[in-house]
Amino acid sequence: MIKQFGYFLEIVKGSLITTRHFVVNMFFHILNLVGIKTKRKGAVTRQYPEAPIEVARRHRSLHRLMLREDGKPRCVVCMLCATVCPSECIFIEATEDPDPEIQKYPSNFIIDLNRCCFCGFCVEACPEDAIRMDTGEVELARYSRGDLVYDLEKLTG
Amino acid sequence: MVKIYINDREIEVKEGTTVFHAALDAGIPIPHFCYHPAFAPEGTCRMCLVEVEGMPKLELACSLQIREGMKIFTQNERVREARRGVLEFLLAEHPLDCPICDQAGDCKLQDYYEEYGLFDSRFSEVKDKRGKKIRLGKYLLHDQERCVLCRRCVRFLREVTGTGEMGVFERGGHTKVDTYEEGQQVDNNYSGNLAQLCPVGAITDTDFRFQTRSWFLEAGESICPLCSRGCRITIQAHRGFARFKLPKRVYRIKAVDDPLVNGPWICDKGRYGYSYLDENRATRILKKGESSPDWQEAIDWLSASILRLKHRNRLERVSVVLSSRLSNEELFLAKKLFKDDLGVGRVFFADAPPEEGDDMLLTPDRVPNTRGARELGWEDVPVDMEALNRETDLLLMFGPDFENAHSLSDILGCFEQIETTVLLTPFDGSLSSQVDLLLPTTPVAEKAGSLTNIDGVLRNFQPALPALGHSRAEWSLLIDLGKALDLRFQYYSRLSSPEAVFQEMTGEIPFFEKNVE
Repeated sequence: MIKQFGYFLEIVKGSLITTRHFVVNMFFHILNLVGIKTKRKGAVTRQYPEAPIEVARRHRSLHRLMLREDGKPRCVVCMLCATVCPSECIFIEATEDPDPEIQKYPSNFIIDLNRCCFCGFCVEACPEDAIRMDTGEVELARYSRGDLVYDLEKLTG
Repeated sequence: MVKIYINDREIEVKEGTTVFHAALDAGIPIPHFCYHPAFAPEGTCRMCLVEVEGMPKLELACSLQIREGMKIFTQNERVREARRGVLEFLLAEHPLDCPICDQAGDCKLQDYYEEYGLFDSRFSEVKDKRGKKIRLGKYLLHDQERCVLCRRCVRFLREVTGTGEMGVFERGGHTKVDTYEEGQQVDNNYSGNLAQLCPVGAITDTDFRFQTRSWFLEAGESICPLCSRGCRITIQAHRGFARFKLPKRVYRIKAVDDPLVNGPWICDKGRYGYSYLDENRATRILKKGESSPDWQEAIDWLSASILRLKHRNRLERVSVVLSSRLSNEELFLAKKLFKDDLGVGRVFFADAPPEEGDDMLLTPDRVPNTRGARELGWEDVPVDMEALNRETDLLLMFGPDFENAHSLSDILGCFEQIETTVLLTPFDGSLSSQVDLLLPTTPVAEKAGSLTNIDGVLRNFQPALPALGHSRAEWSLLIDLGKALDLRFQYYSRLSSPEAVFQEMTGEIPFFEKNVE
């Protein structure tokens, strides 16, 4: 009997917490509405994933490979990203470019997102600004692991 | 002996040496581009400047001779400032294309910039355009923009190979190293040394070009087994990535200085012929065509076959085909086991046929240990097919060369007459699936031991690479076989390493005793 009363007590407590949050948030929303600036803002519920959220400009999201003006990848396969990568998820293969000023370009560039820890070291290491993590793409769940192995085509596309 | 002071440290050196060598012996390396121990001091790069007390200007360490009581400073501010100046002039005309340069990581210009430079470029003018990606030979590419004009390549081609294809042209800021004739090729068996000699990325290997970066490679010292010179080499192998499979392990071979054997050079055959370490390797034990990972079982099976013949008193119907690819220790163990303990009927040698050598390093033999086999008392008996056909019940073959010495149909005809055929080889060949037992063994790069080169110089080596797959070194197999045969168990148990076998050898064979390092 006393035990069941305990349940009711907890339900009432929970309702009180919810009500408190509601009242406090309403209070700040109303203050902001009438033009009074407060340090604390009222909380807003986002309708994710129906309404997509915008990530911060500096957020490290899915990688992309930058292209030169003529459409070739900027990457010159110096492998600094593959060297610095703590999870060893980058693999690059080089080929000969006929242009003696470029000489080297990637024939294959694989980032295995299964292993990637999104540390952004590759972006920092790149001397050519060829790799960036600014796509804003954060929904990377896939149905198979193979879909998470990104190759040159996927990364430049 | 002369007493000198380097950085206020008292050092005793031999008379007549240079400051460079005295400092090096004392553990004080002096930066340099143009100096190379194989050539006379040149003094063109000005990187080895040191301060000597009593001399008004900075002196070149590479050419300055030691005098009694000399006081040398290699790291004070004046010296560092001078080196910084030299580097700034060198880098003014340098293309700074380290990301695509194969020398990056091994480059002296990079190393010295880290140590002495670390300045921002003040060169605002347009850099001179020079030749890039010029074919210099079968294995070489030349980039004139990266050159620091040390003239090592020019001196190598004049003094070592004597062909003199290259020279220094034009003057001042336009100076460049080039071939005398347009498009001339360095076409000799030692051209690969130019790529190793170049302190920067001006001459690079086409073979290594864009394959990987040098800092991924781990070097292990070994001996080149491709001819009986036995040049000392380092094998540079990729340790691999966690997630991605690489097509090969070994990416590059470089020479190691050994004054008694090869000096600082190796031939192109040894430098670029490393594909055998990864391609066509036998990696699994095959018993009657079926793979099994159990070494003990395979050795027990082999020893049981030998013992069966022994009980029937038919050991003279055992034939062994040895190979000069085996190390001294292995040939010694084979002698103990097959000649002394078992007394097998016939022992043959099957080696790769001799090819043309040259008058520098390459010898006609295409196997590393012909001299060692001779010193151990083995005679070079070619395989007698007739004897194999009629008087053999068990055939034990070492090395991959037997199948090339005779036609395949002859060998297979032979195999039909022989009860048991066993092949111990590092390489997959047409016989691998035909023998009753295939035991994968290791090439020189993956085992320890010693080899005797053509001049009788003995050199030890340690494994430079891990053994591939299930393969095992022949010396350990022979010891295990010796133990399994139970003829002299204690003797073979004592020989647990190549060093122990070598100890045993020095006691028995005077040649090896006098050659102990």
